[in-house]
Amino acid sequence: MAMQVGLKVWRYNSRSGERELQEYEISAPEEATLLDCLDIVKDQHDGTLAYRKSCRMMICGSCGMRMDGAAVLACKTRMYDVAQAGHVPVISAMGNLPIVKDLVVDMEPFWEKFRSVDPFLQPGYDEPPDGKEYRISQQRMNVIHKEALCINCGCCVSECNAMEADPLFTGPQALAKAMRFVGDPRDGNKIARLEKLNGEHGIWECTRCYFCNERCPKGVDPRDAIAKLGAESMHEGIDRDMGAKHARWFVVSAKTTGWLRETELVPKTQGIVSAIKQTRFALDLARKGKVPPPFPPHVAKDVKESRRLHDLTQHGPQGFMGIVQGERALARLAHGHTGEETLEEIYDRPGAFHRPYLPDEVPAGSEGGQGSLTQADVTPGEKPTKKPGGGA
Amino acid sequence: MESTHDVLVVGAGCAGMRAAIEAHDAGANVGVISKLHPTRSHSGAAEGGINAALGNVKEDSPEIHTFDTVKGSDYLGDQDAIEIFCREAPADIYQLENWGAFFSRLDDGRLAQRPFGAAGSPRTVYAADITGHVLIQVLYEQLVKRDIAVYEEYFAWKLVENDDRCQGVICWDLLNGGVKTLGGKTVVLATGGQGRIYRTTTNAYACTGDGTAMALHLGLPLKDMEFMQFHPTTLYPTGILLTEGCRGEGAYLINSEGERFMKRYAPNAMELASRDVVSRSEQTEIDEGRGINGSVLLDMRHLGAERIIERLPGSRELSMTFAGIDPIYDPVPVRPGAHYHMGGVETGNDGETELTGLYAAGEVACVSVHGANRLGGNSLMETITFGRRSGRAAAEWALSHTTIDVPRSVEADAERELRSLLDNAEGERPWQIRNDLGTSMLENFGVFRREEQMARQIEIIEELRERYERGVVIEDKGDIFNSDLVQAIELGNMLDLAACMLQAGIARKESRGAHARPYDYPERDDVNFMKHSISRWVNGGPELSYSPVRYTKYDPMERTY
Repeated sequence: MAMQVGLKVWRYNSRSGERELQEYEISAPEEATLLDCLDIVKDQHDGTLAYRKSCRMMICGSCGMRMDGAAVLACKTRMYDVAQAGHVPVISAMGNLPIVKDLVVDMEPFWEKFRSVDPFLQPGYDEPPDGKEYRISQQRMNVIHKEALCINCGCCVSECNAMEADPLFTGPQALAKAMRFVGDPRDGNKIARLEKLNGEHGIWECTRCYFCNERCPKGVDPRDAIAKLGAESMHEGIDRDMGAKHARWFVVSAKTTGWLRETELVPKTQGIVSAIKQTRFALDLARKGKVPPPFPPHVAKDVKESRRLHDLTQHGPQGFMGIVQGERALARLAHGHTGEETLEEIYDRPGAFHRPYLPDEVPAGSEGGQGSLTQADVTPGEKPTKKPGGGA
Repeated sequence: MESTHDVLVVGAGCAGMRAAIEAHDAGANVGVISKLHPTRSHSGAAEGGINAALGNVKEDSPEIHTFDTVKGSDYLGDQDAIEIFCREAPADIYQLENWGAFFSRLDDGRLAQRPFGAAGSPRTVYAADITGHVLIQVLYEQLVKRDIAVYEEYFAWKLVENDDRCQGVICWDLLNGGVKTLGGKTVVLATGGQGRIYRTTTNAYACTGDGTAMALHLGLPLKDMEFMQFHPTTLYPTGILLTEGCRGEGAYLINSEGERFMKRYAPNAMELASRDVVSRSEQTEIDEGRGINGSVLLDMRHLGAERIIERLPGSRELSMTFAGIDPIYDPVPVRPGAHYHMGGVETGNDGETELTGLYAAGEVACVSVHGANRLGGNSLMETITFGRRSGRAAAEWALSHTTIDVPRSVEADAERELRSLLDNAEGERPWQIRNDLGTSMLENFGVFRREEQMARQIEIIEELRERYERGVVIEDKGDIFNSDLVQAIELGNMLDLAACMLQAGIARKESRGAHARPYDYPERDDVNFMKHSISRWVNGGPELSYSPVRYTKYDPMERTY
């Protein structure tokens, strides 16, 4: 079955500087993805359209682009619902990277940042016994499972707000890659890595907008990786950066009074000298009632609960091991599966496919009812096939 | 010339990157050419795993691995090559792990291994179901660590032969446009497979046999071109791969009745029989009317949600995205799809080809480790072991020689040829020819092969080549990222390779491994066809001859599973 798909594609030529929103109307199979649609455009309508592609199965990371302003992998984006709704999406190149032509961006700035985090194992003194593999438990490896899923597509970088403000920010992909090594027990260079990542344009520049988690097509959740790097840095005593001090004050504040004491936040983050320079701004804020007076401290009514919560966090695993994955992240890993049904219940669900059986067995429920073929199982217009006569 | 290196590696998948690393470590100055960024290479799409007889789960040895591989090859594999391969594989795996590969683990922290088809022991080292991705990442990391030069998005188009040596590669710079010539004392081809000759394939758009065609057009011999492996579990309707690891973890194959039909074809190995056997069984079920929409079903329900999510998350994601089916609840429609080309550029055990200075490794090459049928998990291993051996040999030759000489006329000729292709305004767009090739190959040279269909396909390919020769129109006349031009060149390559495949196929009057002729020659014929097909390009067409299989100690037996 074919469907009609409309696309508006931002064309761009970096040599001439020409830019144009071009509309295409094509006929595509119902299962078509955005990539399939672009292929149809290129083959049959406009051979000059430029985009990258290769595996078409969400693993090579070539076809990152934007659909209606949000980064997607074209090969992962099915178009049926969009076409059915009569919507004509706008397709454009990824953000935060220079456009070369149409949907093709220059990935070099991306790879430059990738290289900046020394993205390779730097083994320590521990060598594997007997010249074979390092012995590491699966649970320990699972700590960096999500980071290892990254396919370098650039969707996170495309959407990164911090990078838009500071193009030199190391960025979500490179930081997730960094976490992949910081969290690898075989790596012997963790402290030096963390020191570097705590520098300018490092982990504390992230604004926590979570767009990278939102848009990552592989569930890497770069923001969570950045959180792990922050936690591990502080656990290792690497906390000179204002970002680290800022985070620490949140904890102290929550522990002592149960509220965030914003008035003290600035000096605690920036230091006294820097804070004094902003006195005028602070007074302006105070005049408008935006700054609560620091004394007497406003203590929360149920501060004990807050303190107990704080104490609880001191017992569990520390550093990156202590970062609890968000519910959304976990749900994505399991694709929303709750895992509550037994196999019997799965086999007995209404409309479930026949139970598997061996040729010498009597198929369960084969005579009518469950397990028999329905017209829906076969090609329209053809008769349901007959059961084969017995075994071999 | 753009620049020169001791060793040029063409292709940056597992074989290419492994070769580059080895050549670098041997002291050579290395340049890697790839039409994609290295991590986009299709090795990354390998899912299930990589075979080495570590014996971590059950007793195993390189000898058992060798026997399984020889038998799996339907006795067409070269046994000396297979012995080297199986002996050297374990150390290569430890090396990858020590470099940081993210492999799955056993409870005691050693590398986990899972059962794969036609293997005497659980031998397949894996990383959930993203093993290729993990290998590509670790190899690229090592490439970055060594600061090896990569010519990204350079489409390698012609090899430079001068003074009876291979001395360089002529490329089209995709990103900036223009012909770029790179000189090398030695060249390693690692350009991968050619699955895109078929319409339903697990292969990426990039798998167009560029390296195989470059060697062919230089007059070099290609070996066993008729053997295209059909993977038993490719997703309906897109042909996207679902790993053999699904069956390795215990998934069933069932027909429209829910019957585990493999019991009737391979009573012992069942779903884990050799790939050629499983694909033929499925095709028989489908042909005899026990399929659904031309597919059978891969049933994972009994594995349970936990195991599926932990061990096969990628397969589940692919099923859900491309077929809209969650394998925890429903079986997934699968069918055989073109997957891996056993044939390729004929090489020796160090990747050396007939032309001095030219080496080949990985799917582009035919050593031959896989013979008439490759075992799952052996191809990733081949890329590593023979990538390493080729890289070493290429570096050693390069370091003992000094000159690189690429005549200016070669580049000028290439430039002219490209411009005339670009300027051509008469003829048809290439996509229709490409679609016709893919569709007809699937129909006439698929899992089962009939004499009359092969004869018809030879005519079809001839017609398609005529259409192509008459001229194809490249609409994009620009220099920047002109993929329209590259796709047209790729199509020309595929047409020539398909002609070689068919000529070798129709001449092989037997059934062996992936070449199945149940209607006229249902048996293997060791008397007449225990030999490699050799294809050469002579006067604008393929010419077929044969060469002997290299034996050590494994006598042919009947192949049952």
